[in-house]
Amino acid sequence: MTDATIAPPRRRSYRLAAFAYFLVLPVMVLLVGLVGYPFVYAIFISFTDAVVGNAGKWIGFANFAYLAQNPSFLSSIANTVILVLVSDGLKLLIGLGLALLVNQQFRGRGIVRSFLMLPWAMPGFVAFLAWRLLYQPIGGGLSLALQALGLNLGIVDWLGQRPTALPSVIVATVWRGFPFWFISILAALQAIPKELYEAARVDGANRWQQFWSVTFPGIRLVVIVTALLSSIWTANSFENVWLLTQGGPSDATMVFPVLAYFGMQTQRIGEAASVSVATLPVLIILVLLATTLMHRDED
Amino acid sequence: MTDLAATTATHTPAHSAGDRVWLGRVATWIVAVVVLAMVLFPIYWMIVTSLKIPRDILRTPSLWPHAFTLENYRILIADKGFLTNIVNSLIVSLTVTVIALLFSSFAAYSMVRFRYRFRGVFGRVILFAYLTPTSLLFIPLSVVMAQLHLANSLVGLILVYLTFALPLATWLLQSYFRSVPRELEEQAMIDGLSRLGALIRIVLPLSAPGLAAVAIFTFTGAWNELLLALVLITSESQRTAPLALNYLITSDVLPWGPLMAGAVVSSVPLMVLYFIAQRFMVVGLTAGSVKG
Repeated sequence: MTDATIAPPRRRSYRLAAFAYFLVLPVMVLLVGLVGYPFVYAIFISFTDAVVGNAGKWIGFANFAYLAQNPSFLSSIANTVILVLVSDGLKLLIGLGLALLVNQQFRGRGIVRSFLMLPWAMPGFVAFLAWRLLYQPIGGGLSLALQALGLNLGIVDWLGQRPTALPSVIVATVWRGFPFWFISILAALQAIPKELYEAARVDGANRWQQFWSVTFPGIRLVVIVTALLSSIWTANSFENVWLLTQGGPSDATMVFPVLAYFGMQTQRIGEAASVSVATLPVLIILVLLATTLMHRDED
Repeated sequence: MTDLAATTATHTPAHSAGDRVWLGRVATWIVAVVVLAMVLFPIYWMIVTSLKIPRDILRTPSLWPHAFTLENYRILIADKGFLTNIVNSLIVSLTVTVIALLFSSFAAYSMVRFRYRFRGVFGRVILFAYLTPTSLLFIPLSVVMAQLHLANSLVGLILVYLTFALPLATWLLQSYFRSVPRELEEQAMIDGLSRLGALIRIVLPLSAPGLAAVAIFTFTGAWNELLLALVLITSESQRTAPLALNYLITSDVLPWGPLMAGAVVSSVPLMVLYFIAQRFMVVGLTAGSVKG
């Protein structure tokens, strides 16, 4: 403790600050170069008619005006909204239900928990390839399994026809994504002090009242943050739709990341970038909400 | 169930309380079994298909294979050269993990231990970068990598994977470092260690479970990535595992047998990691989404 008084305080704190900056520098430089610059660049080229190898010229909002009348873009926005709302709603219900289930004491709950996490622990591309096979009209496991349960629907091309394509993508997305909700909510449930339930019981609260007065407040923040994170990820997910349907049939499952990828294959990168940039206003609101909540108790 | 037993016992006759506990337990088990069946069936189907004789898969579909064969794995490895793809994936994922862990632990330590100007800004930058989706970045990143002459190379892929690995690792490590008592470091420094020495000899070993979790998350993220690889890698020899499987589904008749064999092989590293380190991962995941 004596060296604090021996070393000149100002000089010492200056050296400490230099050390602190030095440690944080590599990450900041890489993030500015690999995230910050591309982020700004994406916005910039979306206002140009850039193609691969040619920077193009400034064309104002022409790309966005074109998008506004592009039926593929309009269905991609509608599909993305449906995909996010329905699949995250289902992930919440399933995740919460299973978290409440596994939060009870019963034999084998450790094994149940481990197996419930498998869809999330396996690679996403593997999950969606497996579902693509399940949905095959002939030789797909889904029809066979339904038949075995007595539900003979004949030959159904789940991914190939309009009415079933998007619901099929949603089911696969929920299957892959619910464990994240499940484990986040379960951790929050386990952090709720048991005494709170005892106190509620002493006050005469029934199970339902206990849920609303103790459980719900205990998991509210986790549910909100998980909802924001999951919505951001689901809205921007590429591989589920790409590996299952590539956006088809005739845009029935088109989402904007897939549309942007198709756009890029035409080499018109300005126009392709505008697809993602057009969704930025919503994304920024979600990100600001999420970062504020996640940052809140940090300082 | 002990909670429920205690509640009901005080309000209702003992025998009906016992019945309700028993009924609740049976209901719990039934729900668990049904859900597990739905969770496990796609995985079962993937494995079983990979073991079927190729012509059986579509012609004589069945829930249980007529005959088991490793033919699909032979096609995958001998004819499609899938081992090259696995090696590429390993090179990329391991390198990304090492770089991210090194730089991120420095940055996270700095932001947790020191008070300085812009610290809050840095924290925000990490979070924003974490939440900036690849779907926005893949077009500009492909342009940047082409300018750097790093397109179509594993080095380029490693560099762009840092866009999600660094923020994720820094964000998660911050919460681990916060739990290491400051006094331990101060004591070590009084005993003659430098700041950097204290970080390497005290903080990092004490955060070992956290580092393991972060390493697994980073590795997983790089192992699973498809979009950036699809955009950047053009030559067959540089393809990663997901990319190779992606190109198997672009033909008209999909080779389901080898495809599912590839899916199984690609899952093995992650499944091994998951069952070894489940405990760390769950802690890491929840610490990452919401602290406290």
